[in-house]
Amino acid sequence: MSEASVELWVNGERVRAPVWGTEFLAEFLRERLGLVGTKVGCGVGVCGLCTVWMDGKLVSSCLVPAVVAAGRHVWTVEGLVALAEGRVADPPPGLPSGRLVRAVQQALVECEGLQCGICTPGQLWAACALLQEEPNPPEDQVREFLAGNLCRCTGYQGILRAVRAAAREGRCVGG
Amino acid sequence: MALGGRADGWAKVQGRAVYAGDVRLPGMLYGAVVRSPHPHARILRVRSEAARGVPGVRAVLTGADVRYGTYGRRVRDMPVLAREVVRFAGERVAAVAAESLPAARRAAALVEVEYEPLPAVLDPQGALEPGAPRVHQAAWRYPGAVVGPEDPPNLQSRRVWQHGEDVEEALRRCAYVFEETYQIPPAHQGYLEPHACVAWAKPDGTVEVWASNKSPHRLRAQLAACLGVPAERIRVMPVYVGGDFGGKGSPMDVPVAVALSEATGRPVKLVVEYEEDLTAANPRHGSVVRVRLGVDGEGRMRALDVRAWVNGGAYAAFKPVEHVNLNGFAEAGNTYRIPAVRIESLIAYTHTVPRGHMRSPGSLEANFAVESTVDVAARALGLDPLEFRLRNLLRTGDRGTLGEPWMEVRGEEVLRALAEVLAQGGGAGGTPRVEEGGWACGVGVALYCRAAHAGETEVGLQPRPDGSVVVWVPFPDQGAGQHTVVRNVVCKQLGLPPGAVEVRQADTDQLAVDSGVGGSRVSLTASAAASRACQELQRRVEQEGLGGLRVQEALAELARRRPGEGVRGRFSGEELWLNSVCAQAARVRVDRGTGQVRVEEVITVLDVAEILHPPSHRAQVEGGVVMGLGSALMEELVVEAGRVVSSNLHEYRLPSVLDVPALRLVLVPGGKGWGPHGVKPVGEMANVAVAAAVANAVADAVGVRVRRLPISAEEVYRLLRAREARP
Repeated sequence: MSEASVELWVNGERVRAPVWGTEFLAEFLRERLGLVGTKVGCGVGVCGLCTVWMDGKLVSSCLVPAVVAAGRHVWTVEGLVALAEGRVADPPPGLPSGRLVRAVQQALVECEGLQCGICTPGQLWAACALLQEEPNPPEDQVREFLAGNLCRCTGYQGILRAVRAAAREGRCVGG
Repeated sequence: MALGGRADGWAKVQGRAVYAGDVRLPGMLYGAVVRSPHPHARILRVRSEAARGVPGVRAVLTGADVRYGTYGRRVRDMPVLAREVVRFAGERVAAVAAESLPAARRAAALVEVEYEPLPAVLDPQGALEPGAPRVHQAAWRYPGAVVGPEDPPNLQSRRVWQHGEDVEEALRRCAYVFEETYQIPPAHQGYLEPHACVAWAKPDGTVEVWASNKSPHRLRAQLAACLGVPAERIRVMPVYVGGDFGGKGSPMDVPVAVALSEATGRPVKLVVEYEEDLTAANPRHGSVVRVRLGVDGEGRMRALDVRAWVNGGAYAAFKPVEHVNLNGFAEAGNTYRIPAVRIESLIAYTHTVPRGHMRSPGSLEANFAVESTVDVAARALGLDPLEFRLRNLLRTGDRGTLGEPWMEVRGEEVLRALAEVLAQGGGAGGTPRVEEGGWACGVGVALYCRAAHAGETEVGLQPRPDGSVVVWVPFPDQGAGQHTVVRNVVCKQLGLPPGAVEVRQADTDQLAVDSGVGGSRVSLTASAAASRACQELQRRVEQEGLGGLRVQEALAELARRRPGEGVRGRFSGEELWLNSVCAQAARVRVDRGTGQVRVEEVITVLDVAEILHPPSHRAQVEGGVVMGLGSALMEELVVEAGRVVSSNLHEYRLPSVLDVPALRLVLVPGGKGWGPHGVKPVGEMANVAVAAAVANAVADAVGVRVRRLPISAEEVYRLLRAREARP
């Protein structure tokens, strides 16, 4: 139960902060680093609210002990915003492009792909990661990919519309 | 006019929207709570030495350390921390504040509590029997109690609605009486943000609060009553709420966070773990509903008697309404002409988790029971269920089942529109029974009617020198889009583009009144208040002789002449006699071998008037249908031996995107709305009748009647096998 310290890269910056052995990455990002854009829901890896990018993969940051993230590259929604705004000089390979992030953000807003917003940072990650991998995914693949991100508000219809719209980089259309 | 995306959209897609759990203050401590493992027990001893020994711990409190009163939304019967006894598994017994969250949790785990378990009563019928263990010694003494010393000791609330002829007499005269009993289990609202708050009891005696609460002004009043201080000393700060669905309207953990803050002199953040929220917050009541429906020889409904036994849990504190009951029960049968109606809802205290409101409280319970019974009656009488409903519909000009002088009733328009959709793909009357393997197809319909209410609120408008306007509102946007609705009202009325109107949530010091978000009333109430504020602003423009200028120029000039000044518009509710009708149909396939039910499509037909923001209106309906499917097919908060055992979202399964079938939405425009913009409420319409529609579809497909939610494969299998076993 003693405090150690951990060093990792978050949104491209090297950070070092004290950490408890029982502390998870989600909590570490939010409480130690103040990156509260990443949300925490169930805390057991079911709901997808705490989704972040770690060394090329999406992970539930509530399941990753902070000490396990030592030496790794983690990107959060704050980093996605920086990408979208073109503020990242040399993004590591595998991250979604800034242009894609902007398209997904725009589509989520226009297609009512969010309501209370608590799941939105996680949905944004899931949608960006999917479209980065597969620019024009069939409906089945979209559903399969988004199944790990729960939303209680929208009934998922707005989110599905947003993913379709972002895939076309077009406007939101009904149906 | 293009009205743009959601007002809060960009803040949310950029992760900038601040929720209570995101608040961080200098010197802030972290709280954690110790909870009872027993449904009913005497607290013999609490040992906190080990907890105090954890590095970083600043306070450990028990019930004896807290001098506040009890709290509640209406009935104040909930202690901040249990004193002497615990009345449900999950009740707060002690609380810890520490420099870090891991330290707080570690310390909470080290608090040792010795209990003497006591006999517990877990179901409402048992609780109301003479001699049942008492949950409270004198429940009528709590402030706000709606029971008296003459009532059964465990009664929490009893409500009777009746109208017309004597129902027993009317039932006796009926050619047919259908008696049915239905069970609706407890359920969690399923908001994904667990309850969170930050409280700061400052040295000057004031308290600042950030909380996942949709009714800041009510929270302030409830806290003031609990802490025993004037409301002016409490300031509830604006934050977004991460989902509500009825569950985020109470003080919940705020009083204990205030106590920890007071004990340490530092701000305290208390965010519960999702497991605590599932097992120990304020989930939906579980109900048993008995229906007796009397029908005459011509297939006309003549009498309806509904009686509900409802599990209220250990405290009444989480129900906000006047009679501390579930007003949705009053809607039983309200879509039909029935000359004799009696409805009774009995809520009992039990030694289980206290129950609160969940989206359309009581409505789903009443609707599932009555709309299933209506189908049972239709099928027994050899009538098409849709035709039977049409024959009995309440129509414009009729008084409601409880005597309501409705402005209009659009059941017929809505049901005929549904019939048309079904006719295109095989209606409920002529179901196509395409069967492959063991699968059978079926269609079921159900009808719902909800009354609209208006609350009280105040909206402020402040022009800025750039010609834009800040709209101050006293309530958060918990997702339903009310900030966007208010923005659009202001855009429309003042003739401004969405980009020139910024909605901001005020704290409770900035605006005077608000009844909070709930009862689907916020769009009505807030649009009326915003409309008045706009009129006031326009008057101000005229007074200043700026009427000849273009809007934004006039507003800019006004802002320059009177810097920082604004106007306010207030609206207080009135009886509206406005309702909205929703008809839903489910197409299902049922596996005769395993009982598995697959919903293929849900069709929702909705009575609408003016729509202030079509995308969020549609989203309210879509989200409602999916929540309704969760209640119909998946969700049950399992309580065993008094303990909630659905421990987290892997066990309490919410619908994921893979669980959502095709959704079809048909709007029936032309309804008479209310207020300056002629609107009807939408937030609690589409989630209600889905369960009955699915149960009716299952009956249509395989001929068995499911009388218990959720409609599980196990239950359908059991019913199918039981039917086969009958000679």
